[in-house]
Amino acid sequence: MPVPALKAKDYKSGIKPVWCPGCGHFAVLAALTKAMAHLGLVKEDVAVVSGIGCSSRLPAYIDSYGFHGIHGRALAAASGLKAARPELTVVVAGGDGDGFSIGGNHFLHACRRNMDMTYIVMDNEVYGMTKGQASPTTRPTWRNSKMTPHGTGIPRFNPAAIALAAGAGFIARGYSGEPSEMTRLLVEAIEYPGFAFVQVLSGCVTYRPDQRGWKEVVHPFINDVPTEDRIKAAQIIQADDGKATGVIYASPYPVWQPENEKETELALLEEEFSL
Amino acid sequence: MSENPEIVIDSVGEFLVHALELEEASSDHYEELADSMEIHNNLKVAELFRKLGDYSRQHAKEVHQRTQGVELPTITPWDFKWKCPSSPESFCMDGANYMMTISQAMEIALFNETRGRDFYQQVADSTPNDEVRTMALEMAEEEGWHVEMLREWQARLQDEPPLEDLDPPNMPE
Amino acid sequence: MNNENKVSQTTGSFSVAITGSGGSGAVTAGRIVLEAAAHCGYQGLMTRSAGPQIRGGESAAMVRFSADPVECMGDCYDLLVALDWLNIERFADEIPLSEKSLIICDPAAGEVPVQLRSNRAEIREVPFKVFASGLPEGRINMVALGAMAMVCGLPLEAMEASVSGVLQSKGEQVVESALRAMSLGYNHDRHPVNPPLPQVKKRSVWSITGNQACGVGALRGGVKFVAAYPITPASEMLEWLAPRLEKLGGSLLQAEDELASINMIIGASFGGVPSLTATSGPGLSLMVEGLGLALVSETPVTVVNVMRGGPSTGIPTKSEQADLDIALYGLHGDAPHLVFAPLSIRDCVFTTQWAVQLAEHLQTVSLVLSDQSLGQSQAIIEAPAANAIPWKRAIETEPDAAFMRYRITADKISPVTLPGTPGGMYTADGLEHNERGTPSSMASDHREQLNKRLLKLERFDYGDDWAEIEGDGDDCIITWGSTAGVVKEVARLLRQQGRAIRTISLRLLAPLQRQKLGQLIEGAERVLVVEQNHAGQLFRYLHAQAVLPEQAESLAQPGPLPLRPGRIIRALADSRVS
Repeated sequence: MPVPALKAKDYKSGIKPVWCPGCGHFAVLAALTKAMAHLGLVKEDVAVVSGIGCSSRLPAYIDSYGFHGIHGRALAAASGLKAARPELTVVVAGGDGDGFSIGGNHFLHACRRNMDMTYIVMDNEVYGMTKGQASPTTRPTWRNSKMTPHGTGIPRFNPAAIALAAGAGFIARGYSGEPSEMTRLLVEAIEYPGFAFVQVLSGCVTYRPDQRGWKEVVHPFINDVPTEDRIKAAQIIQADDGKATGVIYASPYPVWQPENEKETELALLEEEFSL
Repeated sequence: MSENPEIVIDSVGEFLVHALELEEASSDHYEELADSMEIHNNLKVAELFRKLGDYSRQHAKEVHQRTQGVELPTITPWDFKWKCPSSPESFCMDGANYMMTISQAMEIALFNETRGRDFYQQVADSTPNDEVRTMALEMAEEEGWHVEMLREWQARLQDEPPLEDLDPPNMPE
Repeated sequence: MNNENKVSQTTGSFSVAITGSGGSGAVTAGRIVLEAAAHCGYQGLMTRSAGPQIRGGESAAMVRFSADPVECMGDCYDLLVALDWLNIERFADEIPLSEKSLIICDPAAGEVPVQLRSNRAEIREVPFKVFASGLPEGRINMVALGAMAMVCGLPLEAMEASVSGVLQSKGEQVVESALRAMSLGYNHDRHPVNPPLPQVKKRSVWSITGNQACGVGALRGGVKFVAAYPITPASEMLEWLAPRLEKLGGSLLQAEDELASINMIIGASFGGVPSLTATSGPGLSLMVEGLGLALVSETPVTVVNVMRGGPSTGIPTKSEQADLDIALYGLHGDAPHLVFAPLSIRDCVFTTQWAVQLAEHLQTVSLVLSDQSLGQSQAIIEAPAANAIPWKRAIETEPDAAFMRYRITADKISPVTLPGTPGGMYTADGLEHNERGTPSSMASDHREQLNKRLLKLERFDYGDDWAEIEGDGDDCIITWGSTAGVVKEVARLLRQQGRAIRTISLRLLAPLQRQKLGQLIEGAERVLVVEQNHAGQLFRYLHAQAVLPEQAESLAQPGPLPLRPGRIIRALADSRVS
């Protein structure tokens, strides 16, 4: 037998998370390392890329290459890395503010571009790192932030609907209270050839203690089977209460990757300037 | 997630893989909680979780010894026959937070340990395999002993006031 | 008409401006003249000007050629060729004429406008329209080209070769008709300029724009990945690079915005692939946060900023050297990095290559400040020989257990592991960190890493390429980037008058080579700092660095008009003496 298979724990770096006890992100870390172990990923061939926020601290906790960049730009950095090093397994992690607010444009275009990577958004409907302001997924009437004392008053960002409209080929939703199920979603997402978007409902115990109630309302999608039909997926998403979990949409799309076989030398290209 | 109506585990290998996963996940989870409680200076609760983590780690070791010479099947993380969304002693009940009191922590622990005991008991009740039944009963007994111990502990606890958040959360980034 | 006294006004060169309504072919005519000059062995420069319309409107091509390198336009044009008079007043500022200039125009286009008559330039009438309409598919710009060639002293054979080359793709018939039209114009009034430019031996020359030259430099520096967002006047660099990168095994990714492009190249460079982006002022502004990330995570990237008139949308199609401040000081925090400026179109090749390789070697950010006047001008230059610059990234391929990504070494440069390397895993971070890369807000770690990032740049020996220094004398002109061309011309003109002068053209602006610069200025009577912006950004920078003597003066002229030699000569004459 070759080298013994790595266990989930072997994929943890040993650095202790800064997260609060009870934070849903612990479950995401556990599920991701389980998925990595299940897939038998070679640690050094994995790069975990993130932006800024509580969830964006994830790369340091995984024993692989990591890039902890700036707020909102994780998908951009990851896209550059994947374009330059297509053989790497690229996982992008972040939160709802990072991905849907400051990084919203990159989210749209990463869905369109469909490069082979997995994007995990740990959605807790709040900015934790800056002390509990409303995020794009916060309900309009949530009044617990001093910055928006009357609530945001604007409708929530619907990540799944927007991902579908922007052209994502794999859309799933998990819940931190269901780590086994989340592991399955992440395995499928990493295996999916293209841009795989996984929204994880991952509660914030500190600023959104109300989210402890999520376990009462989270439920599987009525249509438990991932659909390849865009129109059906759109219907499911529109009818969705935002608390259903599972793979919503999975359909093979052409993957974008630069084609670049070296076929000439620079000195030959430079001849075009000679008169 | 598998809300199976009944858990049927009929081979020693399959049973041991379940037991091992349960105990390891449990100790990992308790240690994680203990670590983060320490960061938040909730040391009493950290100590409790640390102790529970140690018990589970000890159990895991014992289970591991039993696996010697047994051919163990590979079970994908989502194909374990748990009755709740994760292994019984880890994520089934959340509610941990850095302000929790020792009695709240005790409730989580009690919930987890009870789920653990019930899992082993259910396996014992439904398995057609005698060897599995014997092992499952042993483990159920051991978990039952944990449950008892926690109950005694809980009974001795004095009422304590809820913690006050004198130093509210930081803004690290 | 007698043209015996029509001497080229700036010795050794000839400059011509061709104007007309957009679509009349002024720019094509300009390209043909430039290439014809190249066929004769001359070097040259062509700049363009146009109205704000996407197409149409009015358009002008300005060409100057000489036996020597041409790196700026002169004070005056020898020749104005007006294909018609549409909106000619728009160009009046850009095409200075004198009583020694000649105007070639078509009497059928109407009267010569008053403002052009006022400079008392001589006028030669050529019936462009009549000649052109006598030919199938006859074009007036080709008739004008013929007349122009006669005046410039460019032989008909060189013009014919150039026409065939430039119009090749349009088919035989077009070329044939163009050659006939040109011949009519050429033979209409056979009075050349006297004396003509000196004959030169044909040599190996390139016809290239500054944007293309930056592209060549990038490729020579080893760039294999570019992510960028279109912006005037940088887009041509990207358009040139995209297909060529592919052929060399690299790629160009068109990003959704500049925030993406800077972060994409950071990601690619983290993967070990030398990476670059090109943009202009508004784009650079958006990239600044990313530059800080690259710098702190020590991920090498190069940004070519093709400067245009600013701030804000400003004057997108015209040149200005007004982004020095943002390049030097735009980042928050203590953020030492490299700032370069190419000194000519030809120098875009070397400077960009140098910038890329130093970014790689020093694991930092290189900013290259090109500008519209370099980027979008076409030049005939001596072919720049391949330049073997040794610098590259120190990559650790077999890290041992003691490996630390941000180890403090003697030269403060830490060997880096790349994804895929076992045992070298780390998380690159924009957060301050310790030697291992673990985030840290400890004062000692912060100080140590700040020092590291500063000293690796300050202690590096940049050799002699930090500036181009010419001449010696009591007077000294300091400049940077593209205005080096006109400053060097000023020095040539003054030397012809027997005046000794030193010019210092800064190629490396940060870290400033303070000591070397100070020694060069020491003892100068007059010191003039010349640049194309409003605030005197270089002047203030040099003062802040305490390298300028008290009597030093600033000549700062904002865009869009280019700095002309006469303006600098006057400023120098008027400046204080120590």
